[in-house]
Amino acid sequence: MVELELTVNGKACMLKIEPGERLIDVLRQRLGLTGTKEGCGEGECGACTVIMDGRTINSCVVLAIQAHGRDITTIEGVGNRIRPHPVQRAFVEEGAVQCGYCTPGMVLAAKALLDKNPDPSPQEIGAAMSGNLCRCTGYDKILRAVQRAAREVTGT
Amino acid sequence: MEFFQPQNLTEAVERSGLDTCFLAGGTDLVLQLREGKAKPQVLVDLSRVTELKYLTAAGGCLEIGSMLTFAELGGSELARAKANALWLACQSMGSPQIRNQATLGGNLANCSPAADGLPPLLALGALVRLVSRRGEETVPLAELLSRRPLLEVGTLIRGFRIPDQGWKSGFAKLGRRRALAIARLSVALAVEREGNQAKRVRVALGAVGERPFLSEALAEMLQGREMNEAWLEDAAAAAQQVVASALGSRASAPYKRVAVSGVMREAWASLAGGEGTACG
Ligand SMILES: Cc1cc2nc3c(=O)[nH]c(=O)nc-3n(C[C@H](O)[C@H](O)[C@H](O)COP(=O)(O)OP(=O)(O)OC[C@H]3O[C@@H](n4cnc5c(N)ncnc54)[C@H](O)[C@@H]3O)c2cc1C
Ligand code: FES
Ligand code: FES
Repeated sequence: MVELELTVNGKACMLKIEPGERLIDVLRQRLGLTGTKEGCGEGECGACTVIMDGRTINSCVVLAIQAHGRDITTIEGVGNRIRPHPVQRAFVEEGAVQCGYCTPGMVLAAKALLDKNPDPSPQEIGAAMSGNLCRCTGYDKILRAVQRAAREVTGT
Repeated sequence: MEFFQPQNLTEAVERSGLDTCFLAGGTDLVLQLREGKAKPQVLVDLSRVTELKYLTAAGGCLEIGSMLTFAELGGSELARAKANALWLACQSMGSPQIRNQATLGGNLANCSPAADGLPPLLALGALVRLVSRRGEETVPLAELLSRRPLLEVGTLIRGFRIPDQGWKSGFAKLGRRRALAIARLSVALAVEREGNQAKRVRVALGAVGERPFLSEALAEMLQGREMNEAWLEDAAAAAQQVVASALGSRASAPYKRVAVSGVMREAWASLAGGEGTACG
């Protein structure tokens, strides 16, 4: 067992884990943050996307111990029903959520983009979302939702 | 499995041996651990070894630390200016999430046939800096890729050295997702120009055979000639021959043989500084 110290959604966490445990398993099983979804489990689909030190990663191909000393944001840290993040609101308003399985990862990818670049071009949005697959929506509504959130964030 | 986090290069090298495995970004290794393909007693995590994280232009070379991620390289203007082919490969490798995590050192050590970092490094004439308890060694990547196994036990990739010879370089690839592995193919091209002459040329192919390689045949036929439409036609046609002989009767051979011409043209068009437009 090794000691893992990290910040998750602004809260300092300390726990003992096996070195081989994946970040997604520690988030979901040990910390109860089940908003992070496992799709492919192979780094392909982006359902398990979280933000680590400002950058998106796939938590299914990262060991929890690699997050030692780092700052993680999961979907639970982005917003909630009462106070949704602009990206979450835009997803609902544009109908960008169908089964919802890809949505947490999509929202985090969009948030990471807008945190760095509040006024992205459609190409930049497409590139930033290219690591996230959706089997339901056909992407149009998702890309529109991100554009809408960007307008809201920049107040235009 | 134990976990060890060395704080410097010496500690990392001292602790590595038969029963250990280096951990860089983990994008290959985490899956291999889960599938039981890698079963180390000790994971040696390289993330705190600052000696492996550098990107500088010094002494007429571009120096790249093995722990640089594809996102870091792909976001570097220095890399773009000095190693355009590699910079281009960094834009299309994996996905944003994978690029944020995956390192160039891990790309070489894992050495998949379709490793995107390797054809550009080959075309750019890169040297690889290795460290082990036996000492340091600097070898041309092309030579390293002929070794079996690639790395001796306990050998760490410290970084890459790209001689800044003012060559123009480009890269193109086909097929992105692993689900489409059979459709993967990449071409990296580097040209030393004199006017419109291609004085010297290096062409590397990826996902054609077991490991990426430099094609001597292509280089020989393309250098010392004027770069015009005929040159590009010849390059595209000769690339087909190279792919056909490298793949033999493999299932992907007919497809890749045809596709390589297009990828070659794209690689040409991507040569730094808009040089590729000379051929329309
Ligand atoms: C969804 C997905 C998509 C991908 N797409 C691509 C793609 O398009 N193109 C591509 O090329 N690759 C792709 N990959 C493969 C992978 O991301 C790359 O090979 C990556 O560069 C590996 O680097 P890493 O830092 O994650 O290595 P790790 O997984 O940490 O390590 C890989 C291997 O290298 C060894 N190692 C790492 N660093 C060193 C070092 N400095 N010295 C000695 N040994 C070392 C490790 O012990 C291990 O055996 C993809 C992977 C996934 C999961
Ligand atoms: S579950 Fe991690 S990328 Fe698909
Ligand atoms: S909404 Fe179902 S996968 Fe995207």
